[in-house]
Amino acid sequence: MDSGKLCSKEPVKTKEQLRTLLKDTGGKLYYKQMQELKVDTDLLWQTIKTTLKSRIKTWLEICSGCGMCAESCFFYLANDKDPKQVPSYKTQSTLGEIVKRKGKVDNAFMRFAMDTAWGKCTYCNRCALYCPNGIDTGAMISYLRGVLYQQGFVPWEMKIGAGMHRIYYAQMDVTDEEFIETFEWIAEEYEEDYPNLKVPVDVKNADILYTINAREVKHYPEDLAYAAILFHLAGESWTVTSKGWEETSLAMFAGDWEACKIQVKQVYEAMERLKPKRMIGTECGHAHRATVIEGPYWMGRKDGKPPVESIHYVEWLAEALRTGKLKINPEKRIKTPVTIQDSCNYVRNGGLKDITREIIDYMVEPGYFVDMEPNGENNFCCGGGGGFNGIGLYRDWRNKGFTIKRDQIIKTGAKLVLTPCHNCWDAIRDLEEVFKIGINWSFLKPLLVNMVEIPESMKPKP
Amino acid sequence: MFKKILLATSAVHACDNAAKAAFRLADFANAHITVFHVAGIPPRGFSQEAIDVKTGAKVEISKEYTSWVKEEIKIYYERQLKKVKSFDIKIVAGMPYREILREVKDGTYDLVTLGGTSKEKFSAYQKHMIGSTILRVAQVANIPVMVLCRPSPSFLKNISGILFCTDFSKASDAAFDFTVNLANFLNCKLNIFNVVDISPVFSKAIINQEEIEEKMLEAYKNINAKYIQKDRNTIKASAHVCEGIPYVEIIKYAREKDFSLIVMAHHNKEDKGFGSNMEQIIIRSGSPVISLNR
Amino acid sequence: MYKFLTGFMFWVSISIFFIGLSVRFILYFKGLDWRLDRVAYKSYPFYAIKGALKSILKWIIPFLTHGWRKQSCMTIAFFTFHIGAVIVPFFGLAHNVFIRSKIGVSFFPVTLNQITTDVLSWLVIIGAVMLTTRRLILPQAKILTKSSDYFILFLSVAPFITGLCARYEVGNYLFWLYLHIICGEALLIAAPFTKLSHIVLFFASRAQLGMDYGIKRGGMKSKKGINW
Repeated sequence: MDSGKLCSKEPVKTKEQLRTLLKDTGGKLYYKQMQELKVDTDLLWQTIKTTLKSRIKTWLEICSGCGMCAESCFFYLANDKDPKQVPSYKTQSTLGEIVKRKGKVDNAFMRFAMDTAWGKCTYCNRCALYCPNGIDTGAMISYLRGVLYQQGFVPWEMKIGAGMHRIYYAQMDVTDEEFIETFEWIAEEYEEDYPNLKVPVDVKNADILYTINAREVKHYPEDLAYAAILFHLAGESWTVTSKGWEETSLAMFAGDWEACKIQVKQVYEAMERLKPKRMIGTECGHAHRATVIEGPYWMGRKDGKPPVESIHYVEWLAEALRTGKLKINPEKRIKTPVTIQDSCNYVRNGGLKDITREIIDYMVEPGYFVDMEPNGENNFCCGGGGGFNGIGLYRDWRNKGFTIKRDQIIKTGAKLVLTPCHNCWDAIRDLEEVFKIGINWSFLKPLLVNMVEIPESMKPKP
Repeated sequence: MFKKILLATSAVHACDNAAKAAFRLADFANAHITVFHVAGIPPRGFSQEAIDVKTGAKVEISKEYTSWVKEEIKIYYERQLKKVKSFDIKIVAGMPYREILREVKDGTYDLVTLGGTSKEKFSAYQKHMIGSTILRVAQVANIPVMVLCRPSPSFLKNISGILFCTDFSKASDAAFDFTVNLANFLNCKLNIFNVVDISPVFSKAIINQEEIEEKMLEAYKNINAKYIQKDRNTIKASAHVCEGIPYVEIIKYAREKDFSLIVMAHHNKEDKGFGSNMEQIIIRSGSPVISLNR
Repeated sequence: MYKFLTGFMFWVSISIFFIGLSVRFILYFKGLDWRLDRVAYKSYPFYAIKGALKSILKWIIPFLTHGWRKQSCMTIAFFTFHIGAVIVPFFGLAHNVFIRSKIGVSFFPVTLNQITTDVLSWLVIIGAVMLTTRRLILPQAKILTKSSDYFILFLSVAPFITGLCARYEVGNYLFWLYLHIICGEALLIAAPFTKLSHIVLFFASRAQLGMDYGIKRGGMKSKKGINW
């Protein structure tokens, strides 16, 4: 990538390139250059031939066009049932077309495909549940993103995000030193309230290795403090790693499979170095999907599992509450109407819906929890998944898509929406900002910190 | 005493009083002043977008944007900036209280100044924040925090005296050392003040007069033992104890006796609402309040 | 003519049908790649089989899945069409008589009586009309439908129409019989090469997604697994 050229097939690999790209406010020049970007049709067809195998090929072929997937897609519903928003149409008109034309497609087509892959699908995989033929459109869109990324047709923020992972091994420009420093600093801030609150760094053979989302370091260090406090109160032997602490992967959203591998390798190496009993990731949906569910395959692990047992934060939380490691003061339970946003990435695609309900049983006064309709694995995407939240180009499309979630929330009458997922948290916040429906939203940690009982021995001495 | 002062401001009128006080102190101490502005509250997801705190508009935190904001700030404080020894302007994006704390955590500053609770429109984001910027910063900052929300002619003209409010806690004792230095530095009188709290909320019952007087006597003894004796050689401090609701008495006494600066320790973290006292004093005081917490 | 159609062409079409579909079925599973699909197919046989079976069984029973319940009209049309389309060719009385004459035995111990066969055949036609109408009316189906889809639908319903015509001896019995046999054989020949391959690939694809959810996406986490 030469310095004048912002939009190209080359991934972002150096800090210099990253800076140049970031300087281009809103990606104006980047998108302009994209209109001139040549499609390498030979490479495209070669890629399709070698990677589009049995599964996706069959999906493309046997889709009977019944349209049963339509109603499952929140974009379709939010856009007045526009037939162009039917999941199957989104793949047939893009990936299907590439296959049909044997890769001979032009620049305009690729940009249309980009709009579809990132602007009309969050790959929440909900449609996969509604297709009689078992076609998973989300998986195809994800594949399509990879193909588009290879050709350089990728939204500006996604290109940057993937670049961040390649350079910083994190989704944001947070260095290893900054991570440790911030974590220790913030824990120190709370040490007066929680004597002996420490951040154990690089401790070998701990019970828990905690991994996070770089955003927490950059913008919400409180979240790190809460995690430390809750581990501390639960009496866990835990640690963070000074390298490979980032659980998320914007590279996955970008379709940059190489960067996915680079990122997840860091985390797995940390696991192998520190040999913890378990790895626990923060309250983030796609991070869990990237590092725990998809990661093993990027790394070529045949058993489809990370090197050590890896669980989502909600799993640990449910366990801690179940076993009494954490005790909730019954008086402090939530007594406002509350609902939960099931994250697609670990509920529909990770099977954890019962776990979150179990936590709710502990946290919410009976009678105050109202489930969304539909819920669990049938819940709609928050509207901001798949990298959608961050992409400026499609902001209006995203806000339109919010209407479905907005109506779902209004129907529950809840004043508080629990969002144990960074993307959902962001989306619900933005939703409130756009529509002002008078709701609050929160991760579980900040609520719990104020709810759990502090054992006498752990209270600050007056 | 003060080599480097951080003025956290959004360059709006709500911050004017605090800014004036900061510049006054910088001038007096011949200190470097850093004008610190948190331009936008956090980017959406990982995007480059933020919300401008002043206008509520969505902006991109780019180089052009920050240099434009810097220019704005320079113009806003033009008169004052001319007077100080040296200054710089910093623009960052993030949650205001968090970014201020991050900026001061390395201990390069000797004082952070904050102003004005502007009760302007709150975005959905701000609504979600736990407590306001001032409270959180005062709660945990590792350096003295000076807050001023109302005009303080006395501080600007002639620094006549410091009112040191103590509750005999460890934190208060630590704050005393700072206060002594400050009084010496400013060359002004120092009064050590304690209020026997008789507000029903705190004392839980009506206390009889004997008991109050006993407590007051004890407080005098305490002041004498803890502070006056200790620093007999370095400073001439007077003492005063009265009964009442602490924040009311403190404000009243400072006004009546024309103290241009209030210093107090802020330590009571158990009380998450952060005590009505400190909060009330900050909002009501006509003199700058310096709070220390460690 | 009759001899040619029921002799040579019968064997040709039936072979293409069975061999072709078997090849497609086998190739599908052989083509699955644990790395590309990111599913550890072989590592967890129990969860793989459980997931695959559940995914298939729940979808071949009307109204058992969220999808079927959500769109009842489609479900009725779908099953009206498919029940007959699957049962009649195998269990129809005339077909069984024919098969016995060809290979000496009948595979199927049960044969349908004439009335059931008639009813099922009519249902197929009604179902096909419903499915076609649906495609013509609903924008979300219309946008996905190509002319070839109508052709396939016609191809699959043609043997039933001609069969019924022959059965009721509308006009020339032999004409309808020949047409019926031709249509049937065309269907058999086309199956492996067109969307009709879903006859087997439906099971293959459902099994794959079932395994995906059963092994990777939470199947081992929650007791009940994915709630189709």
